[in-house]
Amino acid sequence: MPDQDGKRLSFKLVYYGPAQSGKTTNLLALHEQLAPEQKGEMMSMETQDDRTLFFDLLPLGFHAPSGLSIRCRLFTVPGQVAHDGTRKAVLSRADGVVFVADLQRNQETNNAEAFRSLSENCARVGIDLERLPLVVQFNKSDLPSAIPQTEIRERWQSAPWPLHFASALHGEGVRETFASLLGALYRRQDEACGLSREHGLNEAAFVAGLMGTP
Amino acid sequence: MSGAHFDHDWQLGELIDSHELPELAAALARLLGGDLALADGSGRIVWGTASPGARRQAVVIELDPVATLCSASASADALTAAGELLHDLLRTRIRYRMASALHLEVVAEDFASLKREHARLAESEARYRQLASELDARVKTQLAELEERQQMLYAAERLASIGQLAAGMAHEINNPLGFARSNLGSFRGYLQKFAALRDDLDHARAAWQALDLDFLLADGDELLDETLAGLERIAHIVADLKAFSNVDRSSEAYADLNTCLREAAAVIEAQLPAGIGLRLDLLPLPPIVCLPGHLKQAFYNILHNALQAIIDSGRPGTIILSSAAEAGRLTVRIRDNGIGMRPEQLAHAFEPFYTTRDVGHGVGLGLATARSIVVAHGGKIALDSAVDAGTTVTLSFPIPDD
Repeated sequence: MPDQDGKRLSFKLVYYGPAQSGKTTNLLALHEQLAPEQKGEMMSMETQDDRTLFFDLLPLGFHAPSGLSIRCRLFTVPGQVAHDGTRKAVLSRADGVVFVADLQRNQETNNAEAFRSLSENCARVGIDLERLPLVVQFNKSDLPSAIPQTEIRERWQSAPWPLHFASALHGEGVRETFASLLGALYRRQDEACGLSREHGLNEAAFVAGLMGTP
Repeated sequence: MSGAHFDHDWQLGELIDSHELPELAAALARLLGGDLALADGSGRIVWGTASPGARRQAVVIELDPVATLCSASASADALTAAGELLHDLLRTRIRYRMASALHLEVVAEDFASLKREHARLAESEARYRQLASELDARVKTQLAELEERQQMLYAAERLASIGQLAAGMAHEINNPLGFARSNLGSFRGYLQKFAALRDDLDHARAAWQALDLDFLLADGDELLDETLAGLERIAHIVADLKAFSNVDRSSEAYADLNTCLREAAAVIEAQLPAGIGLRLDLLPLPPIVCLPGHLKQAFYNILHNALQAIIDSGRPGTIILSSAAEAGRLTVRIRDNGIGMRPEQLAHAFEPFYTTRDVGHGVGLGLATARSIVVAHGGKIALDSAVDAGTTVTLSFPIPDD
């Protein structure tokens, strides 16, 4: 449900996942790597010991050939179990989600728990998980304790979502994950928002507009 | 601000209150050399008047200008610095507003989910309440059914005891009837001898002697006496039965318990075998409102037990029936020196269907029936027994205040 007032179209994208899986690190890396026409400051709301208590916010934007201003506001949720209320409030009205999982073997339970919470909270705030643009990122692939990619791909074989491997701390895989989500977002919204029909935007242009040409 | 989502586009008016705007703008104006107009995100002037040809400095939060400074008097450098100052102020404000709006959303949602949880609990409580009341109703129905069946069994037991009684009475009546019939047969023989005398009146003296008519006269008299006594006994038994037979009459009456005791005792007395005695120590009692038929049934059941206990002991014995009015209550004691009861028998004595007798000799409702009758009269019943020493049943009834 993007905000649309004729001149502007604003999407809300949420980075969701277990505590300390690298959601904020993803946003920091994107802030550094992306160069769209418009890029706001990264706003971090209240952290404690490097842990997000409220959310982080990174605004990005560009203008379509039609003159329409297209924005994406990237949010992170607090990962700690205790902040479920905040997590749910931040997830409200999301147009797309990146689920950031922690690849370390000892985090498997936390990943599963966080994914279950995503599914439950989507239901509570009225988001249809089946139709929500969602990509899954397995972060910390550089760590020795990381589960091998082949094992993950095998296990997630039947899942309908694109899978990405990243090392957000080293800036690897972050752009690919985001581009993948933007593609899914475009395909989901093109028809309803008239992106190609009215505003002359195809998928590649949409993704490139928000990421900036490298 | 209330109701707005934390992630909506915040406007200048929401970040700086209308009452603090003039003070802030005036301070900025002084820094900028006197001329300043302040516009919001949509370009509408909210403070001062924009001079023609004024320099403009937009203050961008996220991607869009939230405010614009317009000054004709400020240098470009000063205006940029003022814009940075205002930007930092607005950025601090927006962080605060978003955090507090998010917090309010979370609190409201927590409260809503608490209310949902409460509603769910209330619903489940209501369900359990209903379940409990249904269970209660079912227990009541089943209790009522049980009571009804017990009543039917009481009735059956009463019929059984009446049957026993009838058999006993038949035996009792048969005995005097037998000798009365036999006596009357002998008497007819005597009369035939007197008829023979009439045929031989000429030799009256000799015939009198030959026919032994002196003995006949004496014995005939005795036979008649005995027969009369037998008939008297039958009449007595029939009277007792009549008194007892209205056990099913359930109308209340103003009655003397001693009368009930005597009538019940009379019935049991007729059944006493040799060696077993019955003694009545009845003190005068005030009459009470009661169901005499039912009370007689209760007394009879207890007396019958006492008789059976003495028979079971194999020794001669006595049943002592006493009554007294003491300490505001009527007390009736029925004591026997029969076989007595063991503690485990005593513990179950009042339970329906508890019996130590063989099948076919009572179903174990005698004492249970007696107790339910006594309790129905607001009375109490107690058992005191020792093996081989005998049993005492104590019944007490309240004397209503006049």
